[in-house]
Amino acid sequence: MRFYSKHFKRDFNQWSLYTVAISLFIAIPVFTIIFHLFNGKGEMWDHIVTYFLLDYVLNSIILLFGTGIICFSFGTASAWIVTKYDFPYRKLIEWLLFMPLAIPSYIVAYSYVGLLGNGGTFIRFLNMIGIPIKKIEMMNIYGLIAVLSFSLFPYVYAGTRAMFKSYPNSIRESAYLLGASEIRYFFSVALPLASPAIIGGLFLVFMEVLNDYGAAKYYGINTFTTGIFRTWTALEDIQSSIYLSALLVVLVLFLLAMVKWFRGKKSYALKFNNEDKTKRFNLVGYKKTYLIVVFIPILAGFVFPVIQLLIWAVQTFEVIFNYALFSLVIQSVFVALFTALIIVLTALLLIYFSRWSILKTPRFFPKIATLGYVIPGAIIGIGIIRSSNSIIVFFDTYLNLKVGYLFYGSSVVLIYAYIFRFLAVGYNSIEANTLKLGKHLEQTSYLLGIDKFVTFIKIDLPLLRNSIISAFVLVFIDTLKELPLTLILKPYDLNTLAVKAYEYAEDERVAEASIPALLLILIIAILITLINYKKSKTN
Amino acid sequence: MFKRSLIVVFTLMLISCGNDKSEIKNEEKNQVLTLYTHRHYDTDKEIFKAFEEKSGIKINVVKANADELIQKMESEGDQSPADLLLTVDAGRLVRAKSKNLLQEAKSEIISSIVPAHLRDQDNFWFGLTKRARVIVYDKNKIDPSELSTYEDLTNDKWKNKLLIRSSGNIYNQSLMASIIANNGEEVAKDWAAGVVNNFARTPKGNDRDQVKSILAGEGELAIINTYYLGKLINSLDPIEVEAGKAVNVFFPNQEDRGTHINISGIGVAKFAPNKDNAIKFIEYLISKEVQEKFASANYEYPVNVEASSSELLNSWGEFKEDKLNLSKLGELNKKAVILFDEVKWQ
Repeated sequence: MRFYSKHFKRDFNQWSLYTVAISLFIAIPVFTIIFHLFNGKGEMWDHIVTYFLLDYVLNSIILLFGTGIICFSFGTASAWIVTKYDFPYRKLIEWLLFMPLAIPSYIVAYSYVGLLGNGGTFIRFLNMIGIPIKKIEMMNIYGLIAVLSFSLFPYVYAGTRAMFKSYPNSIRESAYLLGASEIRYFFSVALPLASPAIIGGLFLVFMEVLNDYGAAKYYGINTFTTGIFRTWTALEDIQSSIYLSALLVVLVLFLLAMVKWFRGKKSYALKFNNEDKTKRFNLVGYKKTYLIVVFIPILAGFVFPVIQLLIWAVQTFEVIFNYALFSLVIQSVFVALFTALIIVLTALLLIYFSRWSILKTPRFFPKIATLGYVIPGAIIGIGIIRSSNSIIVFFDTYLNLKVGYLFYGSSVVLIYAYIFRFLAVGYNSIEANTLKLGKHLEQTSYLLGIDKFVTFIKIDLPLLRNSIISAFVLVFIDTLKELPLTLILKPYDLNTLAVKAYEYAEDERVAEASIPALLLILIIAILITLINYKKSKTN
Repeated sequence: MFKRSLIVVFTLMLISCGNDKSEIKNEEKNQVLTLYTHRHYDTDKEIFKAFEEKSGIKINVVKANADELIQKMESEGDQSPADLLLTVDAGRLVRAKSKNLLQEAKSEIISSIVPAHLRDQDNFWFGLTKRARVIVYDKNKIDPSELSTYEDLTNDKWKNKLLIRSSGNIYNQSLMASIIANNGEEVAKDWAAGVVNNFARTPKGNDRDQVKSILAGEGELAIINTYYLGKLINSLDPIEVEAGKAVNVFFPNQEDRGTHINISGIGVAKFAPNKDNAIKFIEYLISKEVQEKFASANYEYPVNVEASSSELLNSWGEFKEDKLNLSKLGELNKKAVILFDEVKWQ
């Protein structure tokens, strides 16, 4: 990366400027946080270093390592099986594999204690069939790894599946003709070719793991994020909590650098195989056991937690269920749709503007704009409130305009916050696939005298359709579940299902949280079904 | 399609801005009140609604963690729309006061109803409801005559029997602060170390989980909030009810200073745009009828002595409460956390 290229003047074009401008605008809260670093370390910093820092670092590394392995294994293996083989209910299973994302991970954490804890549903079942067991301890770091892995592996699954689907049959045929076994083909050809998508997915998993607060706190595990909150709230030292956040950002930058290094070494441009035309094999004989790999994550990440939620829902139905919940459904869906739309557009703008920029430096800036995904929501909230307050004061003092109403209790700031928070989700899912497109098609189109926008709309957009849809769905789901920012920045009248579920859970009324949580799951299920239906129709 | 969707997005954004403007204008004409609250109980919602109907004042509610709300008020400065800050512990109110985010609320009614130790000496904040942090014990395994004080919990006889949640929890921090205030820092540190030594297991879960662990035989006694025991006994989940019924309540330190209590409290924001409405609202919250509602629906002890508490609360018996001024809890909160860390109370 060179900031002053020899040909700066020649290579500088408007796209470089747009890329930098949009990225910087989105990244304002990052700069607010960096700015705060110059205020020096907080008074409790030494205390934290003495008693906790090692704990935070070690626990976070163990969590990343554990979830990384599980998400990688189940994410890629299940993607492989659903794209390569045909079996009954394959379509259903394909989308069931997305469903674990629909449940907020702290709810999964609670429901596992409801299943396996003292007097839990599953424990009572075991007791009934004569196995005398008091409980299966989930509330430790291994339990946390399991809970986070099974609720987050779809990030890996989603991108990898899209990638596998696009492989032309010719690759496989060549590999087999050359005598490669299926296993060898999977490990030596399929996986490496999918590495941009796998890494992109794992990166999202890592950021979610680092950012998890609810599950880690409930299970009593000290992580960076629980530490950031403890430092802020209990030790009353926001300065040190910003320091901790900055450390977390450094950790992520390191991960990002690794991703870049890894991608930089290899770059693949495949001849694109449009849509789901891969030849599938039937699962026969011993290969039927492959399905276990598909069922484990579906059961652990979706079916088991939902069973517990349903039991709670039956218990609390009379008290909790009322028609006001439908208004929450509508509000939640509207906000999430709107946010997902804007984020996908922003991601596309950034990806294409930086592609069109001849200068290389601006291509790094969108990465800064995606950092919001790893900074704890509450810290982003502070950054945004502080930034918007400066704007309000500026308008008030210099222009004598009262603009406070634009910021407090309005949706503008909330939507901005969501963009900052979730841009990475949209950006990473789409970018991985633009890398795969290569530049040939684009260049051919330019040679034929077609301008950038038309090329983008007529060629890239249709080719990217699948990844745009999956980016849209992922952002939609994330927004629907988002908590800390929604709580602190939402307009007074806006109420969402996630907020409702949280209010009950925060008050230790987990059973009561089940109905809003199930409604969340239902919305996401409907969305995914609609998309699948539309897809199969267009096919 | 791309350009068209861009246009759609910007139009939508403009529309949403426009809506906000007109809403604000409407609100200016009418009476409003903006409440920042850490409480999110269905009971509160009903109480707010009743107030709106009675007074014609519309309440805007921002619900979030008290620390986030304080940070929000701090960042918003004199532009803050907040009129009131409502928290679930005294410590956060003390912190808000020390950050210069609250102001004095003069009201004869309030000062005559809320007892002196449950409010700020300068009338910057007031307790609305009380919760006691008590010992609950396994009915079948422990004879209550063996229990006496919080201090006694470090006794070797409770080794591997004591359940309590993590030190990150504000109620534990307040309890620790009260022990520092009553016994001094060194004794408090030894106390915390002794409690850690008697843990049945590393702290995890919430207050309800501690009681469930007693039912499962993982420990024999736990320190929890009365409010959560009320919720547990009245839970819709049969397992929780069973757990709640497996234990009895013991109010510690009855022979000396009394049982540690904490409050849910409220203060008027420094830059409150609607101060008069805010005071009216506090007066309403401490009125007898509302206080009884807090007690019956939410299992909190009323601060208004005229209000009767609920049947369940009465069944646990009357108790002597620690009259330590609650400002102390806020002042010592941080010290409490530092000591917790030093003795490695997870």
